[in-house]
Amino acid sequence: MTKKVLVVDDDPDVRSFVVTVLEENQYMPLVAQDGVEGLEMIEKHKPDLVILDVLMPRGSGIRLYRKLKTNENLEKIPIIMFTGIALRSFLKSQRALDEFKGGEVPKPDIYLEKPVEPEELAAAIKKKLG
Amino acid sequence: MKIRKLLFVTKFEDLCYDALNSLLALKTAALEHVVFLNVIERDKVAMQRGSGYLKEEEVKLKETANIRFIDWAENLFEMGMEVGAYIEVSTLIPEILKVVKKESPDLIVIGRSHKGALEQLYAGSDVIELIRRTDTPILVFKHMMDDNIVPEKLFERPLFATNWSKTGKKAVAYIKAMKNVIGEIHVMHVVKESALKSPDTHEVQKVRKAERQRLDKLCDELEEAGINARSHVYVGDPQKEIEKAAKEYQATMIILGSSDKAAILERWVGSVSKNIADKSVFPCFLIPGEKNIDQ
Repeated sequence: MTKKVLVVDDDPDVRSFVVTVLEENQYMPLVAQDGVEGLEMIEKHKPDLVILDVLMPRGSGIRLYRKLKTNENLEKIPIIMFTGIALRSFLKSQRALDEFKGGEVPKPDIYLEKPVEPEELAAAIKKKLG
Repeated sequence: MKIRKLLFVTKFEDLCYDALNSLLALKTAALEHVVFLNVIERDKVAMQRGSGYLKEEEVKLKETANIRFIDWAENLFEMGMEVGAYIEVSTLIPEILKVVKKESPDLIVIGRSHKGALEQLYAGSDVIELIRRTDTPILVFKHMMDDNIVPEKLFERPLFATNWSKTGKKAVAYIKAMKNVIGEIHVMHVVKESALKSPDTHEVQKVRKAERQRLDKLCDELEEAGINARSHVYVGDPQKEIEKAAKEYQATMIILGSSDKAAILERWVGSVSKNIADKSVFPCFLIPGEKNIDQ
């Protein structure tokens, strides 16, 4: 069965780029343009993988990542972070939220800083989905 | 009335990270979410004879803004804050209103209008246009002025000019919600010269005393809420006197509520608030009345 991959990114050019890579590699792309829509899509479609931006309107990828990793029904969904925000800042923000909100979330398995070549993105997706 | 989310509208020439940084004091009150908005005015990328729509220019401007926002967002994310960003080719005020509808911020932060005198005369000020069309409080940030008066501690010593309207009461609620940030507040009321009907000194002093007592009562209310407050009565032209008091007490910002009455809205917004928001060297925190929205 074709695996579903949700792309959560506010930039239409980035969504288009990722969707093209997904289609070329025989995955079924789903798209959302912000954190709120992203969570709705995840709950509705239970994708096999989420490709997640960080800086977006209506809910950042940082909060969405945290919501997913602290939800026992959704925590197993693999996530590729795909963003212009530095990994260092992402990790610091999660540490700050760990202190503030309690709990601890795992580091993302794959963190890609934009821009990346299509091959690099495809390789990351294959690594998670096979 | 807590400020949990603010919308930071920037063209980069007027508001930069240092301005944002001075607002982060609000974290100790309730601030947890900052939304950036950069509006690229349509005329910068509009169709031009010979070159058509300037798509490359649009991409360049968007990417430049994106790089700035990423840099700022990294700093805020590292503090554990939530950040969002919009970069749109549009017209400033309608775009702000669109984002306000989507995000429901508690405060809009905007730089002073840089329109020329002639343009302002015909098109009006962006700030005033915004006050008329939103019921969200607005902080008009004054920065990169010649005298660079904007302090690092924006909330250290605000001046609250009350006209005793309902919106003034709303302003008091906002002030109380910022008690952890405000150092000392100066509360003032300007008695218009026309209100001093009698030339008799005794009568004039009676008016002053009554206003002073009213202000003192307000100061007591603020002190009960945990904010040090001092009262001042001025007489004369409200705009000039508010500006004068702000200078005398080295205010770090001016807090103003606009009138609730539609009939006098234009007079208030169109004179005191407008002139202070547009021309004062001090940052202005404007709290619009409930009925200000033009439909």
